Amino acid sequence: MDAHRVRRLAAVLVTSQLRSGRTTSDPRSFLGRPELIGVVDLVLVVAAAGLLAPAVLSSSWPTATFRAPVEALLPFLPLAAAGVVLIAGTMFELTTTAKFAGSDAANWMPIRPSEYVAASASAIAYSYSPAIALLFGGLLPVAYVEGLFPAYLLAAVLSLIALFEGAVLVEMVRAFSSRAGSVGSGRRGAATFVVRAVILILVILLLDLALNPVFLLGAVQRLSSFPVIAAAIPFFWSSRALAAWNAGDPLLAAAFSVGQVGFVALLGWWAALLRVRYWVPAPAEFEVGEHRYASSHPILAGLGLSRPETAIVSKDLKGYVRRRELLPLLVVPIVLVLLLAIEGGSFGLLGTIVWVGWVAGFFGLLLSSTSVGQERRALQLLFAFPISPRSIFRAKATAVLLPVLLGSALTSIAVSVFFHFPATAAFGTVVLTVSVGGILVLWGLVFASRYSDFQDRPRPQFVRPSAMIAASLSGLILLVTIVVPGAYALATPTSGALGFGLAAAGIALVAGTVAYLLARAGFDTLFRELPF
Amino acid sequence: MITPAADRALPGGGSAALEVDHVSKSFGSTRALADVSFAVARGEIVGLLGPNGAGKSTTMKAILGLIHPDAGRIRVLGRDVLANPVATKLEIGYVPESPSVYEFLTGAEYLDFVADMYGLDPATRRERIQPFLDGLELAGHENSLISGYSQGMRQKVALISGLLHHPRLLVLDEPLNGLDPRSARVVKDLLRSRASGDGVGVLFSTHVLEIAQAICDRLVILDRGMVLATGTVDALRGRAGLAGSGLEEVFLALTGTGDLSDVVAALAR
Repeated sequence: MDAHRVRRLAAVLVTSQLRSGRTTSDPRSFLGRPELIGVVDLVLVVAAAGLLAPAVLSSSWPTATFRAPVEALLPFLPLAAAGVVLIAGTMFELTTTAKFAGSDAANWMPIRPSEYVAASASAIAYSYSPAIALLFGGLLPVAYVEGLFPAYLLAAVLSLIALFEGAVLVEMVRAFSSRAGSVGSGRRGAATFVVRAVILILVILLLDLALNPVFLLGAVQRLSSFPVIAAAIPFFWSSRALAAWNAGDPLLAAAFSVGQVGFVALLGWWAALLRVRYWVPAPAEFEVGEHRYASSHPILAGLGLSRPETAIVSKDLKGYVRRRELLPLLVVPIVLVLLLAIEGGSFGLLGTIVWVGWVAGFFGLLLSSTSVGQERRALQLLFAFPISPRSIFRAKATAVLLPVLLGSALTSIAVSVFFHFPATAAFGTVVLTVSVGGILVLWGLVFASRYSDFQDRPRPQFVRPSAMIAASLSGLILLVTIVVPGAYALATPTSGALGFGLAAAGIALVAGTVAYLLARAGFDTLFRELPF
Repeated sequence: MITPAADRALPGGGSAALEVDHVSKSFGSTRALADVSFAVARGEIVGLLGPNGAGKSTTMKAILGLIHPDAGRIRVLGRDVLANPVATKLEIGYVPESPSVYEFLTGAEYLDFVADMYGLDPATRRERIQPFLDGLELAGHENSLISGYSQGMRQKVALISGLLHHPRLLVLDEPLNGLDPRSARVVKDLLRSRASGDGVGVLFSTHVLEIAQAICDRLVILDRGMVLATGTVDALRGRAGLAGSGLEEVFLALTGTGDLSDVVAALAR
């Protein structure tokens, strides 16, 4: 392995990630250089440590009070670091457009698979290092005062290794998803797309659930009662090393630490093998059944849509099943509903209705805010076709409303049955959930029509990050103001609570109308002149 | 240099399929088009030539109404493109420089989608699409996802989608990019046939000067957003003082890049 080549490639990959987030980027700017992340790490460590140090070092600090919690926290950190990198990195890799995933720029260069994996994993680990920098900065003065500095240092080193471990796992997931993405390649039939979509969704779903930090913490706590099992699972060796150190057994700590390093090296070797075996350099080829050239969408036409509008809706719906980069969007509500099914017993009627309403609204917002940006450069086609902005608005709104309203209705019915809701509450939940889903779809379109990102990037962001934050925050406020009083009225069916229900309905009506008008105006403006 | 105003006298005195009249457009401080004027008569094929960044694609986008000129007017078949964009676009067939077709659709699904956009009934689209697929050797691939297509196959799909609705003006931005020689020949002959037989006006940009010389009735040479010259190849030769020369020499002379020996010598070192 050529270390210089690995370092150069890693630097290019980090630079690519830093610069891909901007529409225009000055290559001379420090903001686009890999060193930026190192500086950010340093600033976060110093800032967090500096912020807490005066309080921790003051005489009023209750020494020894925090020793036990910090001792308990340190073994969890390497695991969390690996989990964070794996989840974030997986979402990044799985939302990479097929175009970029299939034509890796490095494939034609004289680079060994092991060199690519090492460079890519290093770049991923380095990119996500700020996630743990802040935490370790904050812990530094506390660990120092509590006499846990050696354990802190060991945790820091093991967390850095864990970052790399998570990144190598991302490389493996990338290879698996590449293989899953080509399931059915060369085969005929529309069912191929469904099978492929289900496999990809399952891959993401399993990762999201299995590596959820809450579950990981629970696993560490549970396994602490079964040290033999914990010792046999390499993913927990960092935690075991720190636990052994805290228990005053440095030899065992060293053994687990060395074992952890060896395990990561083994994973790296395996990842390189997977890259060779599963990498699909060319886009997969799929064939559907014979096409009849007979535009016929009776259900969509029944909704009063024109022929061009039904064509756009049909095209967008096909995209949800066929586009790999859109599948993670569909996974989000499934994960949230599964979490409800697992943890929902403790939510109560009010909490469950709020949760279902929140899932529907969030799903609607996510899908609609990305619905225009997903056109990417093909937006030019919609401009060139003889179709008005109002038609495009109707088509785009319908393409999102259909899955969101249908999904909201089915989910709320399923939840009502699963948790044995009273009939009135069940009916009200369906109405509330569907309404919130629809309103948040319109709210998302307000942002989609104004702040979509049409740049062709390896990592599609569909809507500008600042706009996504604004959409999420404002959407959350809308959700709270509609769902909470609505759910309260349904969960406590008294005459007093009826007022809350009416208030929710009134707010929903106003919000829906305002969102509709703003979204429609946004489409009128967007389709006035090509934005790129 | 030929004055753009001279271009207003159209061959045969026919009414114009396209009139670009003193159009200017800036993007920030960059002036993309500066007082561009030319016209395309019905049944005429006009080649739009120019170095990279000359403003060819910007001109074509302005013709479609995709971008709005800061000054000047564009009329398609006598109709202001910005005054009634939907009706005007129905009359235009457009192939962009880098066709961004929907890769998650099959070729057949994409063409069906385009047919829907132009309101073609199912019988008409069936009747029109299959000959295109056969003629451009896409038959047998139409039910595969476009994501698996080669660049040439994508270009063919984009070309079919621009021709499918029988437009009266064709705006083609480097339409022969990536096509194999046979398909390129089919397209060139088809364009000639549509122009001479159906009176379709064709505006055609290309960097392959032999193609321009072979099929275009007239040429418009753009450079740095300005019209440098318009006319037939012979007229341009005369203006450049290069009678008997090939179009490449004429083009290089008119764009001021005639002597490239120093550049080649430096690169060969």
